[in-house]
Amino acid sequence: MSNQPAAVSLERHASRKRKMRKSVREAIEFYCFVSPWFIIFILLGLIPLLYGLYLSFTNFTGFNSGHLRFVGFRNYDRIFTDSDSIYALGRTFFITAVNVPLGMILGFLIAVLLNNSVKGVGIFRTIFYLPSIIPAVAVGLLWRNLLAKGNGLINELLGHLGIPAVDWLGYDHATLSLIILLMWGSGGGLIIYLAGLKSVPKELYESAEIDGASAVQRFRGITIPLMTPVLFFNLIMGIIGSLQIFVQPIMLTQGTNGLLNTPLKPNYLYLVHAFQQIFAFQRYGYGLALLWLLFVIILVFTLVVFKTSRYWVHYEVDQEGR
Amino acid sequence: MRRMGRNAVISAVVIVCLIFVSACGSNGGGNSGSSDGTAGNAGEKPQGSGSAGKGGPVTIKLTFTSGEISKEQIAEFEKANPGIKIQQVDADYNKLMTMVAAGSAPDIIRIYAATELPNYVMKGLAMDLTPRFAASSVFKEDDYLPVVNLYKYDTASGKQGIGDIYGFPKDWSQDFTLFYNKQIFQKAGIPLPSSTEPMTWTELLDLAKKLTKKQGDKVSQYGLVYYNGNTALNQDLLLLQLAQEGSSIYSDDFGKADLNKPEVKNLMNYWLDAVKSDVGPNPLNQDTTFSGDLFVNGSAAMMISGYWFTGLLRGDEKAKTHLNDFGMAPAPVMEGGTRMSPTGAAAGGIIYSKTKHPDEAWKVFEWFLGGKPADDRAKSGWGLPATKSRLALLPNTTEFDKSTLAFVNNELKYADKFIGYNPYISAQAAASLFDKHFSPVYFGKSTVDEAASKITNDMNVLIQEGKDVLGLQ
Repeated sequence: MSNQPAAVSLERHASRKRKMRKSVREAIEFYCFVSPWFIIFILLGLIPLLYGLYLSFTNFTGFNSGHLRFVGFRNYDRIFTDSDSIYALGRTFFITAVNVPLGMILGFLIAVLLNNSVKGVGIFRTIFYLPSIIPAVAVGLLWRNLLAKGNGLINELLGHLGIPAVDWLGYDHATLSLIILLMWGSGGGLIIYLAGLKSVPKELYESAEIDGASAVQRFRGITIPLMTPVLFFNLIMGIIGSLQIFVQPIMLTQGTNGLLNTPLKPNYLYLVHAFQQIFAFQRYGYGLALLWLLFVIILVFTLVVFKTSRYWVHYEVDQEGR
Repeated sequence: MRRMGRNAVISAVVIVCLIFVSACGSNGGGNSGSSDGTAGNAGEKPQGSGSAGKGGPVTIKLTFTSGEISKEQIAEFEKANPGIKIQQVDADYNKLMTMVAAGSAPDIIRIYAATELPNYVMKGLAMDLTPRFAASSVFKEDDYLPVVNLYKYDTASGKQGIGDIYGFPKDWSQDFTLFYNKQIFQKAGIPLPSSTEPMTWTELLDLAKKLTKKQGDKVSQYGLVYYNGNTALNQDLLLLQLAQEGSSIYSDDFGKADLNKPEVKNLMNYWLDAVKSDVGPNPLNQDTTFSGDLFVNGSAAMMISGYWFTGLLRGDEKAKTHLNDFGMAPAPVMEGGTRMSPTGAAAGGIIYSKTKHPDEAWKVFEWFLGGKPADDRAKSGWGLPATKSRLALLPNTTEFDKSTLAFVNNELKYADKFIGYNPYISAQAAASLFDKHFSPVYFGKSTVDEAASKITNDMNVLIQEGKDVLGLQ
């Protein structure tokens, strides 16, 4: 009898140990499963990234890795004395400020429209998503043919309506053309929006309808709040993507230098500038510094958006660690 | 459950091991450079013995495009040389720079000698081939056309055109000659350009304006297109025009750039005028059609392009039915200047200084640039050969062949002078600077003076950086 408590505690101890063993084993299994990805990430992702970070503090020019010199923050200082890089960063912020909200609103509205079970809606879903899977080079060529001043399709149409030709790719409209091209691709978030819309419980709409809520009220009171996690995700991805816009402005530029074509000044974005520094001017160290600064900027933006999320993102389930 | 867990662990471990094995395995073969990511320095000793080891055939990587070296040619060579395999690698400038930086440069590098050779030599990427050329039974110095001199560089004086030889042209053209469409001239009632006497640049622009047809804003017929981009300011045209005047944007030792000189600004205004007049596609009036196509389609009266374009015309379905409508005229000359009709490219090959297989690379080099493939290229008419003896192989059957060949034989007299490109500034960098600072001038957002001073400043920074990289003062 008197041994009972001891037995119980022994039993408890043993079961705790079993649990421990089980959790350790589970952990080992988990790491084994993720290890292929993890090893590749370290070898092909993390190490090159950190090597790039190291090179951004050197005078690397692509040819002197045998006698690299550590130059401290010189490359980073240069960003702030190089008027082009500050200008390009400003333009990139501007394009992001326009592109992200516009693209999200447009993408979301298209998704809401396509969330109906009307005949033929599948075709439209495909059409709206199509721009996201066409290679950027083809997109650029397509839009250049549409926007060209002399023989562009849009100006041809305007001509038939008696409207004089617009220089879409010229200085004054270059950014507008870029935004149009980006909007055309705003169906990219479509699939995620649609998945979000599909997961909104029908009962909520039904009970709201019974309570006499109008369609607009239902949209504002049910759809939008329940879609905030998806909107939040697309906002983060949109900001990250927008700050890294690179190929579109170049594709809208005519030239014989391929990726080294220099877009007109209004479309001279930050990543274009960094690419030019590295590949046209062999300023590898400086280019890498530009890219790492962009990394920090993206990190800050993302953190800020995350911080604000508690005020506007509505989760059905309590989030861990919030 | 537990069994399943164990199996899962075992499979995961096996997968990881396989990944390791395959990763290690890929480090074996191949003859890429050092895999430790170091781009060796000039003067470093090549590793390896320079001859085929015991491990079977040696692979020689070259960066001529698949359009320049055919699978059949490679097969033919490999059959005759069982110890050597040729691997064609596509590498644009960026990729090549990355390969060099990563220490995996190809053995034979395709370059444009006119613009790139000095830089490659100074960076220590080009092997000095002087002794090999001297001992070669394939290459004979007295047979060279002057274009071969573009592959010579004198490291002591920093002059291109003399000194040691580092490579050889694949084919070339006098890139600033003119093609014209006789039909368009006849319709406009304008006499055809002379095939022996050059126009001045001013006459050319006046003529181009006369031959440009516009309906409102829309150009239905261009007066003058340029095969290599817009009919606008670019480094090639500017340097050629200045060279004809005995000037340059660069100092003699290329240590300084100065675009603020009056003769440079005159030429900037000349090209501004050409753009404003819409004589060809330009930043103010972009055309998505390649200038060559515009010319073939009869949408352009004249085109600045080299003899290689005859190859394109002969092969073009539409053009080949009426080849006699096309004629060639000499490269324009500056008023009171020296007549010059140089090349802007001279594409060819150099051998990477740190190749592990110099003997095999030389063998491939000799064959491709001095052997049967060189004969085949000459016969095709897609450019001029680098040797006098092969001029006889150029197409000479049709009336078009004969007239263009007669033109070329006369124009060759003016091919011995070269455009002086700056070895410290890559053609890409120069193009970027012209685009960046001169495009705003076309749109009225900047002035010629402002652009000239901005390009000058940026170029001088680049020259200094280029010298620093090479360890020069």
